[in-house]
Amino acid sequence: MIITKKRDFQELMENIKGYRSFFLIGCSECASLCGTGGEPEVKAMREALEAEGKVVTGGIVAKTGCQVLGTKTELKKYKEELDKAECILVMSCGAGTQAAVEIFEDKPVFPANDSMFLGNMTRYQMFDERCSLCGKCILDKTGGICPITACPKGLLNGPCGGCKDGHCEVSPDIKCAWVRIYERMKRLDKLEELCETIIEAKDWSTSQKPRTLYTREEKKK
Amino acid sequence: MSFREVLNSGKFVVTAEVGPPKGTDIKEMIHHMELLKGKVDAINVTDNQSAVMRICSLAVCKIALEHGLEPILQMTCRDRNRIALQSDLLGANVLGIRNVLCMTGDHVSAGDHKGAKPVYDVESVQLLRIVDSLNNGRDMSGNELMGTTDFYQGAVVTPEANPLEPQLIKFEKKVKAGARFFQTQAIYDIEKFKEFMKYARRHPVKILAGFVVLKSAGMANFLNNNVPGIRVPQELIDELKAAGKEKALDTGMNITARHIRQLREEGICDGVHIMAIGMEDKVPEIMARAGLL
Repeated sequence: MIITKKRDFQELMENIKGYRSFFLIGCSECASLCGTGGEPEVKAMREALEAEGKVVTGGIVAKTGCQVLGTKTELKKYKEELDKAECILVMSCGAGTQAAVEIFEDKPVFPANDSMFLGNMTRYQMFDERCSLCGKCILDKTGGICPITACPKGLLNGPCGGCKDGHCEVSPDIKCAWVRIYERMKRLDKLEELCETIIEAKDWSTSQKPRTLYTREEKKK
Repeated sequence: MSFREVLNSGKFVVTAEVGPPKGTDIKEMIHHMELLKGKVDAINVTDNQSAVMRICSLAVCKIALEHGLEPILQMTCRDRNRIALQSDLLGANVLGIRNVLCMTGDHVSAGDHKGAKPVYDVESVQLLRIVDSLNNGRDMSGNELMGTTDFYQGAVVTPEANPLEPQLIKFEKKVKAGARFFQTQAIYDIEKFKEFMKYARRHPVKILAGFVVLKSAGMANFLNNNVPGIRVPQELIDELKAAGKEKALDTGMNITARHIRQLREEGICDGVHIMAIGMEDKVPEIMARAGLL
């Protein structure tokens, strides 16, 4: 899921200082699990804004905020509340915010959150990053652990000289990705494969932005 | 004789590290180069070491050539993508630089521009392959070069890495990728280093043992606690302590000289690399004590 973090409230107030009335859009998917855009957070935001003297004309928790057409449909029945709002405050990720930008051509849209990374949820509201969405998976070669993400240098062929007692020079909180890969390949009895494979320099064209993907098949007439 | 020829001749090689200054005042650096001239076989110029921004390695290597020293260009993958790395390598070659040490590079979080975007488009193993490819007349995309490079390429290895196995796997990949010589992280335990050399000797590469002179027991403890892959044995720390504050540096120099002498006399490795870190002026004295001058 996309991991989001609430933007500092004072910073948010600074962002929206020119506006008085707002419509809030949360999201029932990732932002809900992150505690940044579910029902309780949208309610809390309404109260916090009102305490600052702002007006909240309405709000919803969109089913999937990044799905443009679906969200647009969900918003149809809030026409009156939306008309009264000077701007939209989106409590999901950057994709959700920009879905709203597409839907509301004539209204300013502000993000209430900062989007962090594609994350795994390890415990309740504890997230870590394991995949960088690089566009060409190498997990088949690295024992299922992604060094592009787990190693701060994204090294593809083994640990650097900064590995200290199995931990990373960048932070002792990070276990060396290549020690993890080594240990896993050893457990799977695949060390020979690890030794023999020199992974080529990555073709970064697969992550050239902005990326698009169309997989739908057009119905033949 | 060039660095490559000296190493291949079987003579015990000595290289010294020169760290470019931060700023344009190069008087002290030139002074250090003059001190090392005619004594060491090559000087090894660091590439924004510890991710602290300084004069680039390439420019200082050129200055070294002008002062009659043979440079080893350190190239890290931290600050340049594959286009910049190859372009700098071609530039280095036409400037007369013939040795390159391929490294990954300390992370930007260690340095003085912590908000910098780390590059690592390629890493040390791949950089070695790039050098090999340029030497064979093609860039890494396979495009033909008008004139090839003539580099003698090396890499680094940490004999006391913990855990050691993943480090050795990478060492072997570097050998396969074309590394001809290796420079090690600082070593302090000759017996343990001998074990590493027993393993390394199975590969067709030259090994230069790394040395960082201990200035005090405090420094030794600091290295043990903070620098990955360095382990100063307790008996050396005790030796430094026993020497007292005033004699500690002198004792540290003696330890380095003693170790270098042993490596050479017993033919354990092919040479040494002295990382003086601000004490470049002491290198000739250490060499003299080691019986190398």
